[in-house]
Amino acid sequence: MHSAWLIPVLPLLGFLLNLLFGKRAGKAFVSAAGVGSVALAFVLSVVAFKVMLAAPGHRLEIGYGEWMGAGAFSVPLGFVIDPLSGLMMLVITGIGFLIHLYSVGYMGEDKGYGRYFAYLNLFVFFMLLLVMGSSLPLLFVGWEGVGLCSYLLIGFDYDLPDDVPAQAGLKAFLYNRVGDLGVLMGMLALFAAFGTLTIGDILVKAGHLGPQLGFGLLTFATLMFFVGCTGKSAQLPLYLWLPDAMAGPTPVSALIHAATMVTSGVYLIVRMAPLFQLTPLTMDVIAWVGAATALFAATIAIVQTDIKKVLAYSTVSQLGYMFLGLGSAGFAAGFFHVFTHAWFKALLFLGAGSVIHALHHEQDLLKMGGLWKKMPVTGWTMLIATACIIGFPGTSGFASKDEILYLASLKSPVLYWMGVAGACCTAFYMLRLFTLAFLGEPRDAHAHEHAHESPATMTVPLVVLAIGALGATAFGWPAAFGGSFRIEAFLEPSVSYGAAAAEGVVRHGGNPALMAAISTALALGFAWWGWSSYKGGLALAEARAAKWPFLHRLLANKYFVDEGVDAALVRPLRWFGNLLWKLFDVIVIDGIGVNLPAALTRVSGDFIALLQTGRVRNYVLTMGLGALLLLYVFLK
Amino acid sequence: MFAVFALITLLGAVLMLLQKNVIQAGLCLALSFLGVAGLFVLLGNPVAGALQVIVYAGAILILVLFVIMLLNHHEEEPAERARPLQRWASVVLSALLGAGALALVLASPGLQALGAAGTPVEPMTLERVGTVLFRDHLLAVETVGLLLLAAMVGAVALVKKEL
Amino acid sequence: MAHLLSGGLQGYVAVALLLFVIGLATVLLRRTLLMQFMGMELMLNAANVALLAFARWRGGDVQGTVTYLMIIAVAACEAAVGLALVIGLHRMRGTTDADRTASLKQ
Repeated sequence: MHSAWLIPVLPLLGFLLNLLFGKRAGKAFVSAAGVGSVALAFVLSVVAFKVMLAAPGHRLEIGYGEWMGAGAFSVPLGFVIDPLSGLMMLVITGIGFLIHLYSVGYMGEDKGYGRYFAYLNLFVFFMLLLVMGSSLPLLFVGWEGVGLCSYLLIGFDYDLPDDVPAQAGLKAFLYNRVGDLGVLMGMLALFAAFGTLTIGDILVKAGHLGPQLGFGLLTFATLMFFVGCTGKSAQLPLYLWLPDAMAGPTPVSALIHAATMVTSGVYLIVRMAPLFQLTPLTMDVIAWVGAATALFAATIAIVQTDIKKVLAYSTVSQLGYMFLGLGSAGFAAGFFHVFTHAWFKALLFLGAGSVIHALHHEQDLLKMGGLWKKMPVTGWTMLIATACIIGFPGTSGFASKDEILYLASLKSPVLYWMGVAGACCTAFYMLRLFTLAFLGEPRDAHAHEHAHESPATMTVPLVVLAIGALGATAFGWPAAFGGSFRIEAFLEPSVSYGAAAAEGVVRHGGNPALMAAISTALALGFAWWGWSSYKGGLALAEARAAKWPFLHRLLANKYFVDEGVDAALVRPLRWFGNLLWKLFDVIVIDGIGVNLPAALTRVSGDFIALLQTGRVRNYVLTMGLGALLLLYVFLK
Repeated sequence: MFAVFALITLLGAVLMLLQKNVIQAGLCLALSFLGVAGLFVLLGNPVAGALQVIVYAGAILILVLFVIMLLNHHEEEPAERARPLQRWASVVLSALLGAGALALVLASPGLQALGAAGTPVEPMTLERVGTVLFRDHLLAVETVGLLLLAAMVGAVALVKKEL
Repeated sequence: MAHLLSGGLQGYVAVALLLFVIGLATVLLRRTLLMQFMGMELMLNAANVALLAFARWRGGDVQGTVTYLMIIAVAACEAAVGLALVIGLHRMRGTTDADRTASLKQ
């Protein structure tokens, strides 16, 4: 398995080809290089996954020598393939391939076709580096790289007159910067604690410490890692960039901002699970932040009218569930939700993209309606995805979300009820979205008339994703409903990393069936309410908004968080920046630092230029004066 | 004898400096060169004296005179602008340099000692010069030959109207 | 003062120095390029006088004469190229006045 390097390098190759020749070589070449490299990477990932399953301890460690070293400090250049990274590789290359294929149809008419595929391939490369890297620095390279690609792809339509994509890209980049600093600090803290940055060594050393030694430095490191996760995975308080990131092309939203990149925070925590198990304080923080995010974002999603904004807040909310699961010591459950969510949220985004494509880039839910007949494939697959996300019994969302809620209930009932409330909101806004888009009467007759089903390159990925969304239950089904949560045992080698499972965490008890029944029944009730509120058009919703104007305004404006950040942070910083610019930069640096020496040089130069008369006799005279001076020195 | 030749040399030089007519200045310079040749003979170096007359007075100076006549500029052109500062500074500088150098020569004990130790020597012969020149300084001789060639080609290139 | 005129080393060096100063004064005071050129020849000769005088008082050293030959050669080269330049300048500008050829300024 020494050739595992090919897996990330193939997309990199695609990136280089598209970057260098994408503009001239034409669409066929770009599609072949872009989609083909990811498809090959997927095939290789499947092979690697099989080899890994056959390996002892389910872990492949592939080293390519030392990357950098200084004294006792050494970072290897190597990859680790174990159940965790193997599954992530399959998700990244598999769903990545489907989304690349979908992009062939969706971006077909874009003038930046080659650039788009170059960025997308580069993203796959960095994401693979992130999950495969055997050391924290390598992981961090991937972590920063996906942030860069996210920035590039959000701002893909940088030349739009309203400048929204460019600004959104900048916003995403800055918010991620804050989080990335956390990851860097966490890395440094871990280096101070363990003297190495190789993930395996850190985890083994942490395993020897035992759970009773949850000391300060470790808590600091894990908390800093979680800060990084709030940035990359859009948790409170750094979630603000993700809804704005919807300014990018829809397939990008599906791949980067729903299925893969935003889940890298979850991956990081599961990867470092033994450390997190040693620090109960961090686990509490993660659980509470996750639950709060899940509920908070779900309430905002209820009143959004842009179809992609609804899905964006839904993603933030679902990521909150993942962190709730992690914080409740359900590493497998949290990661399982990453897995199922990757399928159905990518499907939702691609379905939304299909609708947007059909309606000629109309994203306003209020102008849709009645598309069920026109777009059967999109409609059916969207219905499946909606059933999954609201946790309809029998779907993958039901399996993963209710496992998380059950684990949360063991930690604290408050967390459980926050999760249930979030699930109810989720059910309501998803049915609202579906009803507004596909059912009822068309509200924009003109757009409706021209609507059509999307081409095969777009519908095939939808169907495949729908099958995946339903079939993901094969990996895990709550034991309370007669299944086995297989993924837990499967991920065990990664989560425990050789150490004994953490003790003192309650993993059983309660009544899982009852918990799931309560949440599902409530969610289905809210789903029915959502459908009945919007099936007859907008009249009922408008009446409700008029009845509680304050609440509606609060939600529609997303709790005014953006405005708050603007007033509390952005404007003072801008004011301070302007002050520095006008006072320090213009006067001190430009004036005293640069222009003054320049002026002095010029003036003195002008003065000395007077000596250059061009007359030879003057020069000889000067030479003679010098000789006289020498003579004086000798005679003295 | 030394005083006579020294007087001829310096007188020729000063006359050259003061002469308005360029041709007459050139002739004064020839007088000065001849005085220098006399000094060389007095130094027991007839070879140098002969070369001084042949090359300096006979070749270089004649070349200068040729050029003067070629250009037909016998008188100095009227000054573009009076430059009193240049003039007086030059005079003062020359006077000070001359006086200072003389004082230095008179005050130098090393020079005095070297002069006192001087014994009469046999006159320089062409044979001695030639032997040393072609035995110890062959490379320098060849280089100088090359330099002369380069100077000749350069002079032709500079003066020719179209190359 | 008397021993200056008696033909000792100091007398020769004094003549050489005076010759040099007169040459320098010529370059400084005369504007015609040809005159300045002759002043320079005078300065070269001053150097020759000093050189051969020292050689004489160092026991009739041959090296002095050899160097004198080299200086003559260089002076000849200088005369050839310098006079060619003067002719070229006169042809282009119609002047041999050093003060009028100040176009290298700036």
